[in-house]
Amino acid sequence: METTVERESDPVEFDHSEIEYVSYGGEHHLPLIMRLVDAELSEPYSIFTYRYFVYLWPHLSFLAFHRGNCVGTVVCKMGEHRNTFRGYIAMLVVIKPYRGKGIATELVTRSIRVMMESGCEEVTLEAEVTNKGALALYGRLGFIRAKRLFRYYLNGVDAFRLKLLFPRSEMSRSLLAAIDRESSHLYDHCQPTVGSADVGSI
Amino acid sequence: MDPKMDSGIENCAYHSVEEAIENGIAPVPFSFNRTDDVQCTIDVMDHLLACEATWHKGNSLAQTVFSCIYLLRLERTSSHALLNSYCRIIRATCSAVVSVVSDARTHEEEDIFTMAYGLPLKGEGDEKCLSMLNAVEETISRQLRACKAQSSKKRVSEDTEPLQTNPDLEEGYCKALLSRIRFRKHFYHVLMCMRKPHGRGLELARKHIASCQSELACIRKSSEFLASNVRGGSQNDIEERTTASGCRPIGFDASLNSKLSAPTPPRAIKILSWNKKRKPDLVARAHLQVLLVQDGKLYGRDLIFDIISKAAALPEITKNYETQKNEFLVQLGQVIVIGMSQMVRVDWESYLGDLLINFLKILCTNLAWQRRKLGKILQDWTVTSVQAYKNESVSINEKLFSLLDTLSLIDTLSFVPWTLLTIALNCELGENSNVYVDENVCMKLSKHLLIWAEEQTYWIAYRFLTLGFELELYSPSEYCMVYWFIYCVLVKLSEQAQLKMVASTDAVKRKGKKKKDISKDALKDQKLSPVVLLLQCYICLSEGLTMMLAALRNEHNAFQTPSAFNTEEERFIQHFELLRRAHIPNDSIPTSYINNLQCTSDSLIVKELRSSFSSDPDRLDELRQIEQIAEHNRVALNVICQAGASDTSLKVSFEFTHGPCFAIAVVKRS
Repeated sequence: METTVERESDPVEFDHSEIEYVSYGGEHHLPLIMRLVDAELSEPYSIFTYRYFVYLWPHLSFLAFHRGNCVGTVVCKMGEHRNTFRGYIAMLVVIKPYRGKGIATELVTRSIRVMMESGCEEVTLEAEVTNKGALALYGRLGFIRAKRLFRYYLNGVDAFRLKLLFPRSEMSRSLLAAIDRESSHLYDHCQPTVGSADVGSI
Repeated sequence: MDPKMDSGIENCAYHSVEEAIENGIAPVPFSFNRTDDVQCTIDVMDHLLACEATWHKGNSLAQTVFSCIYLLRLERTSSHALLNSYCRIIRATCSAVVSVVSDARTHEEEDIFTMAYGLPLKGEGDEKCLSMLNAVEETISRQLRACKAQSSKKRVSEDTEPLQTNPDLEEGYCKALLSRIRFRKHFYHVLMCMRKPHGRGLELARKHIASCQSELACIRKSSEFLASNVRGGSQNDIEERTTASGCRPIGFDASLNSKLSAPTPPRAIKILSWNKKRKPDLVARAHLQVLLVQDGKLYGRDLIFDIISKAAALPEITKNYETQKNEFLVQLGQVIVIGMSQMVRVDWESYLGDLLINFLKILCTNLAWQRRKLGKILQDWTVTSVQAYKNESVSINEKLFSLLDTLSLIDTLSFVPWTLLTIALNCELGENSNVYVDENVCMKLSKHLLIWAEEQTYWIAYRFLTLGFELELYSPSEYCMVYWFIYCVLVKLSEQAQLKMVASTDAVKRKGKKKKDISKDALKDQKLSPVVLLLQCYICLSEGLTMMLAALRNEHNAFQTPSAFNTEEERFIQHFELLRRAHIPNDSIPTSYINNLQCTSDSLIVKELRSSFSSDPDRLDELRQIEQIAEHNRVALNVICQAGASDTSLKVSFEFTHGPCFAIAVVKRS
């Protein structure tokens, strides 16, 4: 699955405080996500693919709004994979005029934080080898290129499997506790949260 | 969605091949004007070659080679000898490639599509394709001779009908056709020769490959002539054209096969252009693998264990080597069983043989797959040595076991295996052993094997690490840790190579000594072999790069990526997890890596980077590359040192201009 974050001309001017980050709230968010992903990402997905992610892991998907318009989204999942509890970033997209301003980073960061707090040991995703923007974004967050997958995409492009390993030390546990204390209402395991969650800046 | 992902159900003009033919899409002949007919035939030949190359790169037959209607209905071309014989040999060639790639099984799903899905890949009379093509070649050769004779006003000895009607163009067209026909013949011969058992056809294949290359040169030369005599529709983009003339070829329609392409919808593909240079890939690798490994033997004729014996420099024991060897193998197996109490007997011969065959096959896969597989087999190879330890230690009586435990020798690989084996045998044998064991023979042979196995393990680790550069898996902030690891692995590799030399000269005398004593002796007594010297060069390069990168980090704050979610330690662990699990190398890694970052010494770095050993002349190119890398980095280092740590306008980046693995520092002022 994939990410697009190339810089484009004619960007929209906005203040960062104008961007509202919202956790997936229900069916009304699904068409927004689908529209964005179908338009911007290169791989074709069916509605069943979307439902799989947002039904089972609603707390891992986030949307970014600017003045009521959905300008970005991230869709993820997590689960057991060969004896590790692992998060997976399936789709990440920000529409062209809003790129290069840290929205994608913020969306991904929110998801990763939820994964970390849920006990994930690592996070993984695939990205096209040509997608320099995505590789730089994830590199800054601590992902390494674990593998190269030959002709992974339908258009014949290779992919990197990117992996982020969370620290397992005592220090990381107290770091998590500090995050817990600082943030206001975080996601609740049972229900998706609605409204922006300001969990501090990275 | 990216349109390249799905070509869509395009409205193709025709619903079937027959309908397309009825509408004149693939006329036979192309034209009643013989000159035009020849030109069109050449275009078809060129486009088919481009299609074939596109197929090799990982696309379906239906959208490439079999987009040619003439190939789909070969019987229609029987009146056109040139087209018919050419299409037939294309079909036979593709069939041969499918066969070898399927046999080798070195391809992942996306490497090449071998499934034909009902396309006519084989036909009656294909086995005679060479003789048919020879007949056509003979005719055109006569036509060429005739036109040359005419132009030099010589008497024409035979009454040959010319190829086409324009005498001025006769020579050019004859030559263009001949080079194409000959290329196909030689290529077909290459495929046939490479499939001969026991590698018997290798030399002949080499000759045919050389012929292919010279014919390709002729084909390229013909493009000027062909392009200047263009008639009819041209392909717009000169860079993307698939024919020498630049004309669009007649008789191709990929959409006709849309139901036959594959179970998945056809992707939009682009046929490779005439000009594009490609590196040899899957088809070559498949042939290589099939050549190397046949019936579980090297080249189908050499027993794998014989190869290992030679590589491990197993000494000749007695004149009756065969019987001795068999006895040894039985004895060695038995020796291990003695140590293992309840475990299954390890059959050394097949175990090492299987490892080696698997290893050879892995080296024939694509690089991405290869690296993943090499990482996985590391532990298999390491187990070879560890197994001997563990087996022996289990059997040893309490006293000896606790002694070994005190010396921390149970779980470490730094102790020479044959020494442990000696102790075990000294304790165990003579008691209730009912097997005759020539202790000295066993010691020697098992020691050689284990050293050899350990050496291969480090070689695999080195390849695993360096492939990461070729696959672009490392970001610049990770180069330092990778070069450090490469340095550690190369040091071990060099030690193993020297140990092998020592073991093959005077093993018995050194029985009982520790490994570090032996390598010290080795350095004093033995002249370092070229292989070891070359390893020393790479050791210096990797050490130098590690130190330079460490210095840049510490003093210029370069190449650091602070991350929100983890530290460098996690990234280190991830990159080298497979190596750690295989105990490579056997020092405790994370702390020593972090500590090494602190050491920076200008003169030491320069000295290391300046060292280059004289070596075997066969490696001249490699040495030149090493020298260039060392020299570039030395110069860059001087610039950095002169500028000093406080100069923040200097930007240092690393590029791989002299080889894929060892980088060159590029210093720019911003």
